[in-house]
Amino acid sequence: MGGCRVNKSERLIDLIAMLLEARRPVTLERIRRSIPGYGQATMPSFKRMFERDKSELREMGIPIVVEPVDAFGEELGYRIPKEKYYLPEIDFTPEEKVALLLVNRLSSGELTPLSREAAAALHKLSPDLGAGSRLVQTGSRHFRFAPQREPLECLTVLWEAAAARRTVRFVYHSLGRGKGKARARERELDPYGLYFERGAWYVVGYCHLRKEIRSFRVSRIESGVELVRPGENGPDFERPADFRLKDYSRILPWEFEEGAEYEARVLFSPRIAWQVERDLGDVYRFEPAEDGGGVMQVTVRNEDAFLGWVLSFAEDAEVLSPPQLRERIKERLSSMLEELGGGDV
Amino acid sequence: MSDPESKIQRLLSVIPYVLKNQGVTLSELCDVFGVSRAHIVSDLDLIFMCGQPDYTPADLIEVEIDGDQVFIRMADYFARPMRFTTAELSGLYLACEAVRRLSGPPASSALTSAMDRIAGALKEGAVPRDLIAESVDFHQPAPGGELVAALSEACERRRVVEMEYYTYGRDDITRRRVHPLSLEFGMGNWYLRAWDGRSREIRVFRVDRIKDMKVTADTFEPPPEEEADRPSPGPHGVAAGGEIEVCLRFSPALARWAEEQPIFSQAQMVRGRLVCTLRTDNLSWLERELLRYGTEVEIISPPELKERLRARVKNLLEMYG
Repeated sequence: MGGCRVNKSERLIDLIAMLLEARRPVTLERIRRSIPGYGQATMPSFKRMFERDKSELREMGIPIVVEPVDAFGEELGYRIPKEKYYLPEIDFTPEEKVALLLVNRLSSGELTPLSREAAAALHKLSPDLGAGSRLVQTGSRHFRFAPQREPLECLTVLWEAAAARRTVRFVYHSLGRGKGKARARERELDPYGLYFERGAWYVVGYCHLRKEIRSFRVSRIESGVELVRPGENGPDFERPADFRLKDYSRILPWEFEEGAEYEARVLFSPRIAWQVERDLGDVYRFEPAEDGGGVMQVTVRNEDAFLGWVLSFAEDAEVLSPPQLRERIKERLSSMLEELGGGDV
Repeated sequence: MSDPESKIQRLLSVIPYVLKNQGVTLSELCDVFGVSRAHIVSDLDLIFMCGQPDYTPADLIEVEIDGDQVFIRMADYFARPMRFTTAELSGLYLACEAVRRLSGPPASSALTSAMDRIAGALKEGAVPRDLIAESVDFHQPAPGGELVAALSEACERRRVVEMEYYTYGRDDITRRRVHPLSLEFGMGNWYLRAWDGRSREIRVFRVDRIKDMKVTADTFEPPPEEEADRPSPGPHGVAAGGEIEVCLRFSPALARWAEEQPIFSQAQMVRGRLVCTLRTDNLSWLERELLRYGTEVEIISPPELKERLRARVKNLLEMYG
C-alpha cells in the first residue's frame, strides 16, 4: 500500500467511468495498465482484486457485461452498456414531485419493507425531481410520518419471502389472553402477504405448526426471520389461487383466535356511535337510531377481546344480545367489583 | 451496506444532480441526499482525482466548491443516475403504495400518475405492480382521505378551522377554532398539530376524533418556526404528563401485551407482572381503559382512581341489571 491513488472507492469510480465510456470491451490487461489503483498489484493479486470489485459493482446493480473483444472471439473484455446503465429521464408534473416528496418522508420513517432501497431509488430520481426532492421543501412540509416500530430488516425479509414464495422460520410470542397461552414458539410459515392495520404490520400465511392460514403481528416476532431452505432457489410453496389478502387484512382482534363464532348486537350512544361507524362501518352492519346513536352487529370469535373492547366504551356501549353475553359481562363486572373492594362505595 | 459502497451509490446520484443544477448549494445537497455536510464534502473530495485514462488534468472530473456552491465538469458519462435495482424499484413502489393509501387526495392521485410515469419510462415490464398489489395491503385509517386532504389544504393556506372534537381524555365533545400547522401519521392514525383557541396553546388532535369540521375564510399568522416545529409531546392520543401519578400492575397474562402499548411504556417487569407508572391530568380515559382489562390489572395508586372505577363498575352493573 502507499500513494494517494489506492483508495478503493476512487478505484471503483474510475472503473465504472472507464467501462461506461468504452466503445469496445476493455481487456483485463488494459484495465490493469490504465487504472492507477490496480497498477501496483501483481497479476494474480490484481485478478483477485478485480473479481472482488466486479462482483461488488454487480451487487450494486451496475450492469458489467463480458464480451469478445473482436470478431475472432478469442479474447474477452468488459464494458458497461450505456443503455443498460442510464436511468431514462422522467418528466414529472409539479404535483407528482410534491407527492414523491411525501414518499421520501415516509421512507425516511422506515414505514414499509425495503425503505432504504426506496430512499436510494428516490436519490436516483432526484435530478428529475429537482429542488422538489428537498426534504424541507415547502408545500408539503406540514406532512410527517412517525417511524414505525417493527424492525425494517424483519419487514423486508418477510416481504421478499412472500414475493419469492419462500418458507420462513421465526420465534413468535403469541399473546393468548388465557392462562399459560402466552408463550414463545418457533414457527414455520409460508408467507402469502403483509398488511398494515391500526399502526401495526401483520404477516399472513400458512402456518406449519397450526396447519392453517394465520396472521402474525410482526412486532411479536422475537427472533430474526430466516429462510428455512436458504441453499435452494425456491419457490418453496405455491400460494392458493383463491387466497385474497383482503379477506384477512380487516380481521379485528375479537375475530382473531379460534372459538365459536356468533353475532352480537351492540347499542352505541350518540356521543360515540359516529366514531364506531367511521371505524368499522365497512365491516359490520350499522343501524343508525334517530337520536344519533345506533346498533352495530359485530362478529365475535374471541369473547375476551370483544368484552374488553365493548367495556372500554363504558356507559356509551351496551350489548343487547345474545343474552349469554350479557351474563358474561355481568360476571366480569362483578369480579372486578370484588377485586376493587366490594360494593361499599 | 459497507461504507464505500453507499458512498459510491450516493455519488452516482449526486454527480448527475449537480450536473443538472450547477452551482447548487451544499445545504441543498444535504437536504436532497439526507446526509451531513461533512459527508457530501468527503464524497466530492473522492471524485476530485477520478476520471478517464490517462488521468491527465484534461481527463479528470473537475469539482469546484466555491463558498457554498458546487460545480462539476468533465463528467458527462455520469450525466444520468444508474437504473433502479429490483429491490429499489420494489421499495419505491411499496412506499408509493403506502402513501397513496394512507394519505388523501391530491397526493394519492398525483402518486398514481407518478407511478404510471415511472413504469412508462422503464418499459420492459420491470415494475412489480401486480406482485405488490397481491402481497401488501394498507388499511386507510378512518375517516378516509377527504378529511386529511381538507386539513392539509387548510395547513398550507393557513386557514382557521372550526371543528367539533371528541376529547378521549375527558370523554367530551367540544367546539374549537384551531390554526392547523401540520399533519403527522403515526401508529396507524393521522394527527393534526394545531394552535388551539380554547386552551391558547399548540395541541395534537387525532383526526378520526374530529366529528365535524369547517375550513373558514379567516387566515392566521403562523407561530414562530421553532414553536411550530417542536415534536409532538409524548405518546400519541393521550397527552403525556400531568398532575396525577398513576401506578398499575398487569397480570402475567396481560403483561406482554401492555408492554406493547405506548401509554404504558414507563414500566418494569416484576416477577412476571408489569408495573407501570404514568402521569395524567385526567382519570376519565383511564377508567375506560381499565374497564377493558377487567381483573387483569390492579390499581396500586391513586386511591381516587380505584374509587371512581368502582362507581363506574356499579353503574354498568345496573345497566345490565
